[in-house]
Amino acid sequence: MPHDSAPDRSPLDRVLDLPPLAPVARRVASLNARYRHHGATAVMERALHDPEVGRIALVSSFGAESVVLLHMLSVMRPETPVLFLETELLFPETLAYQRDLTERLGLRDVRLIHPDPEALRARDPDNSLHRRDMDACCLLRKAEPLERALSGFDTWITGRKRFQGGTRAALEFFENEAEARIKVNPLARWTKADVQDYIQNNRLPRHPLVARGYPSIGCAPCTSPVAEGEDERAGRWRGTGKKECGIHFVNGRMVRGPVPADAMPAPRPVLVRNDEHAPQEDTADATPAPQPDAPVIVTDQGFAADDWSHPVTPLAEFSGPTGPVTAIEIGPEDDPQLLARHLPEIDMIRVRFPSFSDGRGFTHARQLRLMGFQGRLRAAGPVIADQYAMARRSGFDEVEIPAELARRQPWPQWQRRANWRAHDYQSRLRA
Amino acid sequence: MYDYTDFDAAFVRERVAQFSAQVARRIDGSLTEEEFRPLRLMNGLYLQLHAYMLRIAVPYGTLNPRQMRQLAMIAETWDRGYGHFTTRQNIQFNWPKLPDVPKILSALADVGMHSIQTSGNTIRNVTADHFAGAAADEIEDPRPVAELLRQWSTDHPEFQFLPRKFKIAVTGSPNDRAVTRAHDIGLRMIRNDRGEPGFEVIVGGGLGRTPMIGPVIRDFLPKADLLPYCEAIVATYNMLGRRDNKFKARIKITVFENGLDKFRALVEERFQALRPQFGGADQALLAEIERAFAPPDYVQKPLAPYHAALTDPVFRAWADTNLSPHKNPDYAVVSISLKAHGETPGNASAAQMRLMADLAETYGHSELRVSHEQNIILPHVHRADLPALHAALKPAGLATANIGLISDIIACPGMDYCTLATARAIPVAQEIAQRFDALKLEHEIGPMKIKISGCINACGHHHVGHIGILGLDRAGVENYQITLGGDGTEDAVLGDKTGPGFAYDEVTDAVERIVRAYLEMRHDPSETFLATYRRLGPAPFKSALYQEADANAA
Amino acid sequence: MSRKFTPKVVTANALLEGDVVYLTADNRWSRVHSEAELIEDEAIAELRLLDASARDSEVVGPYLAEARPGPNGPEPVHFREAFRARGPSNYPHGKQETQNV
Repeated sequence: MPHDSAPDRSPLDRVLDLPPLAPVARRVASLNARYRHHGATAVMERALHDPEVGRIALVSSFGAESVVLLHMLSVMRPETPVLFLETELLFPETLAYQRDLTERLGLRDVRLIHPDPEALRARDPDNSLHRRDMDACCLLRKAEPLERALSGFDTWITGRKRFQGGTRAALEFFENEAEARIKVNPLARWTKADVQDYIQNNRLPRHPLVARGYPSIGCAPCTSPVAEGEDERAGRWRGTGKKECGIHFVNGRMVRGPVPADAMPAPRPVLVRNDEHAPQEDTADATPAPQPDAPVIVTDQGFAADDWSHPVTPLAEFSGPTGPVTAIEIGPEDDPQLLARHLPEIDMIRVRFPSFSDGRGFTHARQLRLMGFQGRLRAAGPVIADQYAMARRSGFDEVEIPAELARRQPWPQWQRRANWRAHDYQSRLRA
Repeated sequence: MYDYTDFDAAFVRERVAQFSAQVARRIDGSLTEEEFRPLRLMNGLYLQLHAYMLRIAVPYGTLNPRQMRQLAMIAETWDRGYGHFTTRQNIQFNWPKLPDVPKILSALADVGMHSIQTSGNTIRNVTADHFAGAAADEIEDPRPVAELLRQWSTDHPEFQFLPRKFKIAVTGSPNDRAVTRAHDIGLRMIRNDRGEPGFEVIVGGGLGRTPMIGPVIRDFLPKADLLPYCEAIVATYNMLGRRDNKFKARIKITVFENGLDKFRALVEERFQALRPQFGGADQALLAEIERAFAPPDYVQKPLAPYHAALTDPVFRAWADTNLSPHKNPDYAVVSISLKAHGETPGNASAAQMRLMADLAETYGHSELRVSHEQNIILPHVHRADLPALHAALKPAGLATANIGLISDIIACPGMDYCTLATARAIPVAQEIAQRFDALKLEHEIGPMKIKISGCINACGHHHVGHIGILGLDRAGVENYQITLGGDGTEDAVLGDKTGPGFAYDEVTDAVERIVRAYLEMRHDPSETFLATYRRLGPAPFKSALYQEADANAA
Repeated sequence: MSRKFTPKVVTANALLEGDVVYLTADNRWSRVHSEAELIEDEAIAELRLLDASARDSEVVGPYLAEARPGPNGPEPVHFREAFRARGPSNYPHGKQETQNV
């Protein structure tokens, strides 16, 4: 892709040479007409270079799909300002991902946009505002800082797409934002598959949380994974009815929807360069980092950390209970019959699967249940999501999987088989 | 015929949704190929030599015309316009693309079909006598039991990751057309001294690398004990079967290495624990299924058109070979040969499938069967309709009069399609069929089963062919071993190896030498090849096979 | 053991279509045998196979197949590979439909 701007000139210098811009509405109409049949790269390419666009910045959350626009920008004009809303409640993975992408893509002007420290101290001193008033929290940490950061720009680029649905279904490439700015949505017409193809074809690094079931990523307290088939953004502000941040700041008052043209806040840019002077990014108390390599316990309710803290005795070393709590591990070659006398005293049995394709553990489980074992029964090993129903139907209560597998096959993939009681031939035949 | 209940239909839909998601997860990287492979195999999707291959179950070989037409539609929409009927009463499509497979499965679900457990280390499609419900020699229709077993084995949570694949066959006749003694579990319906129905249970039979005729593990199993007893066998095998060596993982090796007595004791112990779990729900379901397999409403009409047609030698030849006795003497069981000389054994084009569906509707009480000998059966045709049926089959290339003859060859796909194959099988079959057609010796030779496998796994059942041919790779060259005297019926016998193998272009001559030796040595035309072979032993056939070969070489 | 290394190509089946593909010198997957990279060195062959194995999202089951140089590029040696490069013998399907093989 050609870079047509000289590297020694800042983008601001470049646009300062340009003639004054026409009113926003007229420019938006003309841009949409001109780019109606263009693809995302063409829109992006022109947005970065079309004089009608004016001073431009990309606003990026460094979220699940942000890498697409960041990559296009890095190829077309890496010196374009990238505004990153560091709400100070982000996942540590997002911050790490932002640093990593900035480095790998060679982005030259990533600006971390922090909330105003004074406002933060006054309105959310203990980072708990989101629990009391989610909208107020979004206003404080996103809307106000973004509004300030955008005040020096005529146009901003977003990654919003029609397929994200709801309020975004009719998105155009160019939008008139309250007659104040142009909003460019180069990916408006992309499908989920287009995004995935682009990421794959260009071998772009993915946000580490995507593999763990987060297709849309915002602040840690208000983002949860979504199930397969659920709306992409279902994990954002889950259970609140809230779908978009969509909050604007008008004279100290919070409003939804476009900002009225006569109510623009006074420009007060707080632009922070992404360099060693960047403010502290300590969000540890908001989002405790997960243990990266600890196994994950899967139940019908979801993923959880292992809550079993007692020792587990291999069957070969077991001769009878030695304490108040007894747990046994059975390997594939073991004979569960050896436990027959002790079953009522055993609290937990962990059946080890050497590989997902070795199905002996299922027969072990069935046998233990046939023998009358009532305790907790756990399948442990690289059992895959598609085997979850088999495990439950064979008598297991839960599955213990390695962290790597949990990352690759996040909860939504298991949740699909959490309906293990449905469509079960065996339950019709056994009565 | 059994139609899907709401439960079956919902199950299959759910399964299509699961597999669609699995395909998507394979494509997006959530599933590695290593993890995806058993999942796709569980849904009958193989990766073959040139393309994917989808194997669709035809449970106990029974199809209705709507299903047959849907197979034709699938062949035309997502494949190359034909399907291949297999020795396990399945149909295979050789050219589907991975992203299309969920659509194919959905189209199958529309007509109450699926491809579940047609592959993988699990209980496979249950097979049954292809003349079930029609054969004159039948004690009871085995299909209700096969359907019960299908439901029990489908998605059985314990048995999706067995040491190796597991095949069950059921027959309801003393004349075993389901090769029960060469299955992991073979069930032969019998009555005990008190006249109660039950099964003789055979375990650990199989062909393949180590062919074994299965021993009887239970002389008489009451009908109501079927599911817990089968479950006990498979659970015992799941624990005991070898997982260290793929070639020793089948139950035949488990039974052989542990001894039948020990294996039986473990099965009986497990059976005692499992029996109380089946409190009659399965038998109630079986009773419902049995009602679905009620015989058709036979019609009565004069047989004159049939007798008149017998004067036509072409019709007569077809009637002599392609009809079998029906339990209703006015009816016949019709075998439609998918072995036209020079064609690929077991293949049918979409047009042929549609024609067979139409004819089944017009003349066959809307029933079709797939036989393990890779032909299509119309099990209930009134004899008066046979001339019209024959006339309709002829222009479509479906009236070949060769059932049970030398050109009715079983051949696996071999190296033309299969990744496991070590040599081709299809062109060998094509050439043999064309040779004997040209020699006009086919009817003179009489009953003769040639079975060809393109590798040691023996999908072509070569061990039980009267003449068995096994294609091997000898130092980068196709080489064919010949066995003689095998028999897949109730008197199952494995063929004798003759000696050194033959090159690809020597096989047809070798077969002709065997056949000419038989024609010379038989007492009279009523003595079949197999009878002659049993009377004389292998020696004269071997000398015909090799002495002439040596003479030719000299 | 001093077994002489015979030249190889890396071959596999395409994930989506299932058809036979060959690894080219410029890291493409070609449908045409003669476009394959003919690898004469055992260590390089192992490396190329490792490269190919990492491309799990494009192909299934890569392996090294024996090949020899021909006038238009590498040719298969074993009859199995010749069938893979051509198609089945009972129908004119597969590569023989579109390629002059």
